[in-house]
Amino acid sequence: MQTAKSQTFKDKTSKVMGINKEDALLTKSYIFVAFMALLLGGILGLVQGLNRAGLLELPSWVNYYQVLTAHGLILVVVLTAFFTIGYFYAGLSHTLGGLLPIVRKMAWIGFGLKIVGFVLAVIPIIMGDASVMYTFYPPMAAAPMFYIGLALIVVGVWMCAFGAFINVANWRKNHKGQHVPILAFFATGVFVLLFFGSLPVAIEVIVMIIPWSFGWVKTINVMVARTLFWAFGHTLVNIWYLTAVSAWYVIVPKIIGGKRWSDTLTRVVIIALVIMNITGGFHHQIVDPGISPSVKFMHVFMSLAIGFPSLMTAWAMFAIFERTARKQGGKGLIGWYKKMPWKDVRFLAPMIAMIAFIPAGAGGIAQSTNQLDQVVHNTMWIVGHFHLTLGMSVVMTFFGISYWLVPYISKRVLTPQINKLGVIQTWIWTVGMIFMSGSMHWVGLLGSPRRTSFTTYGDNATALSWSPYLMFLAVGGTLLIIGVILQVYAVINMMFFAPKGETEFPIAEVEENAAKTPYWTERWGLWIVIMLLVVAMAYVIPLTEFIVNAPPGSPPFKTW
Amino acid sequence: MKQTIYGLLLLLFLALPPVANLMESVMIIHMHMQMPMLIFTGFLIARIFQLRFPHSFDKWNSNGIPGIILFVIIVVYWTLPRSMDEALNEQSMEIFKFVSLPLLAGIPLRDSWKRIGTVGKNLIIILFTILFIGMGWLYIDSPVQLCNNYLVIEQITLGWGFVTTAICLVIYLVYTTFTDPSKYE
Repeated sequence: MQTAKSQTFKDKTSKVMGINKEDALLTKSYIFVAFMALLLGGILGLVQGLNRAGLLELPSWVNYYQVLTAHGLILVVVLTAFFTIGYFYAGLSHTLGGLLPIVRKMAWIGFGLKIVGFVLAVIPIIMGDASVMYTFYPPMAAAPMFYIGLALIVVGVWMCAFGAFINVANWRKNHKGQHVPILAFFATGVFVLLFFGSLPVAIEVIVMIIPWSFGWVKTINVMVARTLFWAFGHTLVNIWYLTAVSAWYVIVPKIIGGKRWSDTLTRVVIIALVIMNITGGFHHQIVDPGISPSVKFMHVFMSLAIGFPSLMTAWAMFAIFERTARKQGGKGLIGWYKKMPWKDVRFLAPMIAMIAFIPAGAGGIAQSTNQLDQVVHNTMWIVGHFHLTLGMSVVMTFFGISYWLVPYISKRVLTPQINKLGVIQTWIWTVGMIFMSGSMHWVGLLGSPRRTSFTTYGDNATALSWSPYLMFLAVGGTLLIIGVILQVYAVINMMFFAPKGETEFPIAEVEENAAKTPYWTERWGLWIVIMLLVVAMAYVIPLTEFIVNAPPGSPPFKTW
Repeated sequence: MKQTIYGLLLLLFLALPPVANLMESVMIIHMHMQMPMLIFTGFLIARIFQLRFPHSFDKWNSNGIPGIILFVIIVVYWTLPRSMDEALNEQSMEIFKFVSLPLLAGIPLRDSWKRIGTVGKNLIIILFTILFIGMGWLYIDSPVQLCNNYLVIEQITLGWGFVTTAICLVIYLVYTTFTDPSKYE
């Protein structure tokens, strides 16, 4: 552990010299894996989209559900986990004056565990033994190796989470009474959620599924497994979202030449999201049996409560935009928006991501309402929803981050050409996602089911009426793969070929006359206990019911 | 003053028949959500009493102990199965619940919590941890219905609610025992 003195010296050097080599290599490796996953997952997505539209017949040795599982796992787990960890570790390194050697080691061990886990999970998918889709709901059962791989990925993530906690705790010891820098505060929130959110899924996989898939126990309690999965699944969704939000609050204001609006509000939003998040899993189970209507009704409140910090975020972001634009001479009720740097990809991509979150969030609120969800729950609408949230709000923010983060860690610069390419990529991605996600939403309303490969149900008239929308889906998917290729090209260029130079890590300052942030925001121990209490309250009713009044349980099924 | 108004509004909301009926329809929500929320309304309402009658609080509750004892008695009373059953069966008991929890538990808690010091706070948390484990054991292990109004499965759920809450309290106690805030603050 460093002393306070050397820490401040390190602070200064890292501000002047940029990121140190070892920390840069760590983030570079994480980001490289993330974008390779994007390429691979994107290609699989295209194959799947074309097949789903009835345009492409898959060869006999590939199954639609196999592609679906791989596409989901690679993008939902690998891309997001590697990007989030790479980005926040660069943020910790920058704002806390470098990573501690032990923390760096933990992050590398985590990296190795996740890669090994990923390979172990992918082998059975390729062999056709794990086409269980990324939610791996029992009683569908994959080969045990698939679950062992997933468990290793979770352990790898835990290594990174504890690494982050150690680094933050060390910084706090050396900076008594100070607030943790805002990006590190976001990182703390995200890693708290990553750890506590992945506990339920670890219990599901290690205690329930692995013994069952080996055949050591004969049956599994399906409802308990699903509930534990969604306690994790929903948290994971919000981890991506919180990662994107960190860039909106901290990075975007700097890029547009403004200041951060309210430090207290930002920290309260993070704490609120951390406390209320895990219980949101229930709105994914709104049509599941075994949970009484009154409990589901109560959970609507919990889900809508999570929407509240998002509304605070929307408000804060527009406040920042308008204040900055007006300072730069923007006029009129909405005319100020012209002053925003629309030609800068570092702004454009996250801005479109934020705008996309307006319909995405509204759709989410519709889905957490029981009656509305019953119309769309098992349809393509849901697929459209998470392509709008993850594929636009989150991933476009990640893309926007890459245009300064990759040059920063590679000690290179963002050239005007790559910026232009980025702008073109952003628009292609936007149009592609509007087509794809839009048609998914619409065809879902018309009844087209999700988790189902292409079929016309014996040329049934209703099923045939879906085809034009599915064609739009294929068009959107094709545009998106062009977007993926441009994006991966840009990342590789910025990582290895762009001209050498210094790129700034853009962190916005707080406004000059800002009120002091109260110190209670730093009491993470207390927030975690409250979070656990909320989780305990929320889960005790259905879990007791599922376990005490359990059905006989289900043997494993291979449905493909 | 604002706090008091919010507290009264929340109390009014909780007392609305559809809200009260929904919350009382599930045993654990009755005891672990409605009752704590009633205490919380008292916690908010307490502000006006502290502003208006600071001297009487100082006089009767100078070290916080009388207030916290009153709080503990009221809360322990409402953890009994019998009292919950009566609140559902008798209108007068229901009214007593809506009066006693805010006024006799919430207000003394607010006034006493700052006065009893760290040791006092931890002692209260330890007391409730033990109580919750005990109540959890009672509700989980009881082979018969303890409340006429609720099924055995609801009773078991409430028991586990007590146990999980106790676990959270233990985590909090471990956290405050083994971390030293002076190292960070």
